[in-house]
Amino acid sequence: MISQSLTRRAFLRAATENAQNSLLILSVPSLLLAGKQAQAAMATAQPFSTLGVEEAATLEAIASRIIPSDETPGAAEAGVIYFMDNILGGSRAEVLPEVRKGLAELYSASLGRFGTGTFYILSPEQQDSLLRDIERTPFFNTLRYLTIAGMFTMPSYGGNKNRIGWQLIGFEDRHVWQPPYGYYDADYMEKGA
Amino acid sequence: MAQASFPTREEVDFVVVGSGSAGGIVARELSMAGFSTVVLEQGPYLQPGDFTHDEWAVTQDEQLAWGPRKGHPQTFRRYEHEKAEISNRAVLGYAHNVGGSSAHFSGNFWRLRPVDFMERSLLGEIPGTNFTDWPITYEELEPYYTKVEWEIGMSGLAGPWDPPRSRDYPLPPLPVKSSGVLLERAAKKLGWTAYPEPHAILSKPFNGRPGCVNCGFCLGFGCEVGAKSSTAVAMMPQALASGNCELRTGCTVSRVDTDDNGRVTEVVYWEEDGTVQAQKAKAVVLCANGAETARLLFLSESSRHPDGLANASGMVGRNLMFNGSSSVAGLFEHPVNAYKSVPTTRVIHDFYSIDPSNGFYGGGGIDARHLSRGLPMSAALGTGRFSGARWGSQFKKDIAREFTHACSFNGHTTSLPLSSNNVTLDPDVKDKWGRPALRTTFMNHPDDFKTMKFFLDRSVELMEAAGATQISANYEMEGQTGGVHLLGTCRMGNDPATSVVNKYNRAHDVPNLFMVDGSSLVTSGRGQPTMTIMALAFRAADHMIQAAQRGDI
Repeated sequence: MISQSLTRRAFLRAATENAQNSLLILSVPSLLLAGKQAQAAMATAQPFSTLGVEEAATLEAIASRIIPSDETPGAAEAGVIYFMDNILGGSRAEVLPEVRKGLAELYSASLGRFGTGTFYILSPEQQDSLLRDIERTPFFNTLRYLTIAGMFTMPSYGGNKNRIGWQLIGFEDRHVWQPPYGYYDADYMEKGA
Repeated sequence: MAQASFPTREEVDFVVVGSGSAGGIVARELSMAGFSTVVLEQGPYLQPGDFTHDEWAVTQDEQLAWGPRKGHPQTFRRYEHEKAEISNRAVLGYAHNVGGSSAHFSGNFWRLRPVDFMERSLLGEIPGTNFTDWPITYEELEPYYTKVEWEIGMSGLAGPWDPPRSRDYPLPPLPVKSSGVLLERAAKKLGWTAYPEPHAILSKPFNGRPGCVNCGFCLGFGCEVGAKSSTAVAMMPQALASGNCELRTGCTVSRVDTDDNGRVTEVVYWEEDGTVQAQKAKAVVLCANGAETARLLFLSESSRHPDGLANASGMVGRNLMFNGSSSVAGLFEHPVNAYKSVPTTRVIHDFYSIDPSNGFYGGGGIDARHLSRGLPMSAALGTGRFSGARWGSQFKKDIAREFTHACSFNGHTTSLPLSSNNVTLDPDVKDKWGRPALRTTFMNHPDDFKTMKFFLDRSVELMEAAGATQISANYEMEGQTGGVHLLGTCRMGNDPATSVVNKYNRAHDVPNLFMVDGSSLVTSGRGQPTMTIMALAFRAADHMIQAAQRGDI
């Protein structure tokens, strides 16, 4: 049973882990039911405004293969899904139908290959094999674009939580810099041309 | 003195359409000389405090540079026999705000050199092109280059690499970056000379404006401290303070009306809410840029000017030039941090003119830059050039490494003027005002490609000499599909049969109409045209003032 104190994100992760650890893969309807319960329970915990819980879970899983979480945090920790939710309901609303169509196709492909359409419960290797097949499609390019944008946007758009994206690449958003800026100009200051 | 206010139905001396690199200067010069001047600008008057580092808004949501997302679609095709397709971005890019693209440029200011004005005489005809000499010389323009440096505010180091100059720069160059050091040391190894990039950005406080704080958000962004010498901060405040200039923002011009004598009488425009207005004027100066000035002339057609206003030559919209480019990215062992400070601090002009014995026409410069403007999102979107990984763990490693450890050596090169490269009105697509959209037809001349490749090869040699551990090189070998240097579409010349404006930027066909912007350029220069656009604007304004004073407007 899902605790009332779990946030939506914790729910999604719990649902995924439970499913992966389970001998019986959870059926989609039960996940949806769990999702609805969580949605009702977590109305105050940053609800998605545009995406359904299932869609969000799948999109987050895809984003996590584009920028994985390994030794350093990835798209999941940066909250890229919240950027997607924000943008797909706002300035990129026109992209949402294409995204939904792509998700439906991914569901079918997953069902055909792995016996379940629920992408986010697959292993990373299984997920990658499905994504490799579509990596040149407009759908994948759109998700790559949104994942990267959400990773490196100003946090006010919902992504790049705690500036995780910027920390990953070593970008400091400062308004004033003084030389030396890098190794080579420091060396130049010392030794000249 | 307060900004002036003029009734639309009373004739002012001048209406200036556009407040960018040229319009801001023309408005300032005319109004300070005592002429009543109305400036019509499509965009808002943004102040330094309005600008941000918001990469999503600026680079993806067209906050400053309008495009299809803002109701301004453009179409593109390679050749004139093809049907143009709607592009998902602005094919011809420019900022819509007071200051125009000078608000979001990175201020790399190269003077043209004496050779630029007379290459046709020196090199001979290039068949199939409209390659020709300018009607003016470098010596005639030099005082105005100096005027740009001192009136707009520039930083640089005068030296043997310069064309002849009458005065030193007002300010010293901006501090060298690691990318500049890598270029300079590589050039030295190869026997070439890298010198400090001249900038229309203040290295120290000047004329009441602060010096650059090296934040790094120049290219595509507005300057948050006002150190970048856009006409919005360097010219418009003085124009408005003259008491003779009224700036009307949010005003989009629909046409320029003429009378039975073929003279311009008024400029018709929409206010932001769609209200139609018309401002009467003794003379009109179009400074709408190399795309929009030509479009406006086409939109101002009449029975007297059936092919567009001032287009008896048929040259309006033709000879569109972007400047070619090549880009060589290199990965280095130590942090370069190219995202800090201005894009470029060193430039090489050893190949300003490629030796004609190579068998093609061309020339240019090479500067050291950041990859993808040094912007986190844009850099990550472009990652994949070294390892090929576009997603996954390797991609993630690449993003993290490239952002701080890479830079690029970029070639900026000549474009040849061709009749078949042009701006016209799209027959089908309309913008939010119902005007035919800009249609661009463009395919590089074979010599443009050879020139880009030449600069690519030199840049690879430089990158190797600089010690890059990995190198990735590319140029637009399929042909350019757009640009931000919008040049040549109302070319200047002595012969009314082959040019649109005379050597003082006055329309050959319409005595009280002037075109002053990138459209006047006869040849493309080597890649950084804005300083020349500004110098021509100061020069044209001088002649307008003299003409008006003797009653010849």
